[in-house]
Amino acid sequence: MHEAGIAEYLIEVAEQHLRRVPHGPVRRLHVRIGEMAGVNPDSLDFAFECIAKGTELEGARLDVERVPLQLDCDACGRRTPVADYVFRCGACGSETTRIATGRELQFVAIDVDDPAEEVGGASH
Amino acid sequence: MHLIDVQSGLLANNDAVAAENRAMLARRGIYAVNVMSAPGAGKTSLLERVLPLLAARWRVAVIEGDIVGSADAERLARLNLPVEQINTGGACHLDARMVHPAVHAVVHGPADVLVFENVGNLVCPAEFDLGEDDALMLLSVTEGHDKPKKYPLMFRRAGLLVLNKVDLLAMTDFSVEEAVQAARDVHPGLEVIRTSCRTGEGIADVAAWFELRIVAKRGRGSPPVQG
Repeated sequence: MHEAGIAEYLIEVAEQHLRRVPHGPVRRLHVRIGEMAGVNPDSLDFAFECIAKGTELEGARLDVERVPLQLDCDACGRRTPVADYVFRCGACGSETTRIATGRELQFVAIDVDDPAEEVGGASH
Repeated sequence: MHLIDVQSGLLANNDAVAAENRAMLARRGIYAVNVMSAPGAGKTSLLERVLPLLAARWRVAVIEGDIVGSADAERLARLNLPVEQINTGGACHLDARMVHPAVHAVVHGPADVLVFENVGNLVCPAEFDLGEDDALMLLSVTEGHDKPKKYPLMFRRAGLLVLNKVDLLAMTDFSVEEAVQAARDVHPGLEVIRTSCRTGEGIADVAAWFELRIVAKRGRGSPPVQG
């Protein structure tokens, strides 16, 4: 269970970015997680919720975009999804493929209210 | 409402230190292997068998990762090799920052090959680069041949799959063929060596696998130390 460490790092990086710009309450953290990244989105969400308590990220939501596992084939050049973790080109069956997407573990962006906005503002 | 652009990898801190570890090891031409498996697959037993063969020609250093205690480090220290124990204190894997001081010590000491024995776990260690050249993964026949289907990331990362405890095959329903096929579905072409730490089967093959890579890492293969 290394999601706690990742949540901690997420908060650390978010705080670094938030220090640089004037902002209102933090609404969402956008995170991209590949199908084959060794991170469980639910566990990350839970860890984030626990660790964010008492920080300015408390109450912010974690928005997870899942990225499917896809291969680029060296033989036929096509990009196909991986079914059941069998790493063969879905088009020609070749085994000489490279992972194109699905290993992402990326902190993309932070959604914040503008500094002037009221905390209870119904922007959503 | 506005968006603050971040675009940062969530393992960026680990990957940066891993790159530093890798660069330090590369400067000295030290070949590093990250040994990973489920608990009880035989990591320490394999090292007890293989490392003495390597130590006859090369200077071997070990960084031993355990949640608590030093039982494995004590076993390996009996081989008269420098062993650095790291207790992760609850963490289920080694990470690049944890091993960094020990890697630093290894590159400043005499060493040709560095072995990280990771915490027994098939999930988390797969995601954390330590700065190694290769990942060696053990699967023991008592674990079941469907493991590669359950832990694809680990099998994908492995540079060598050691199928251990083959002396017990007759007592299990483990199918070597199915296990190897499942591993190669996830990782086409994955090299597999069958071993038994009790009978010694395959141990020389694992040592040879190391040897090839130690020599390659040292460039043209500087003369080995006096054995």
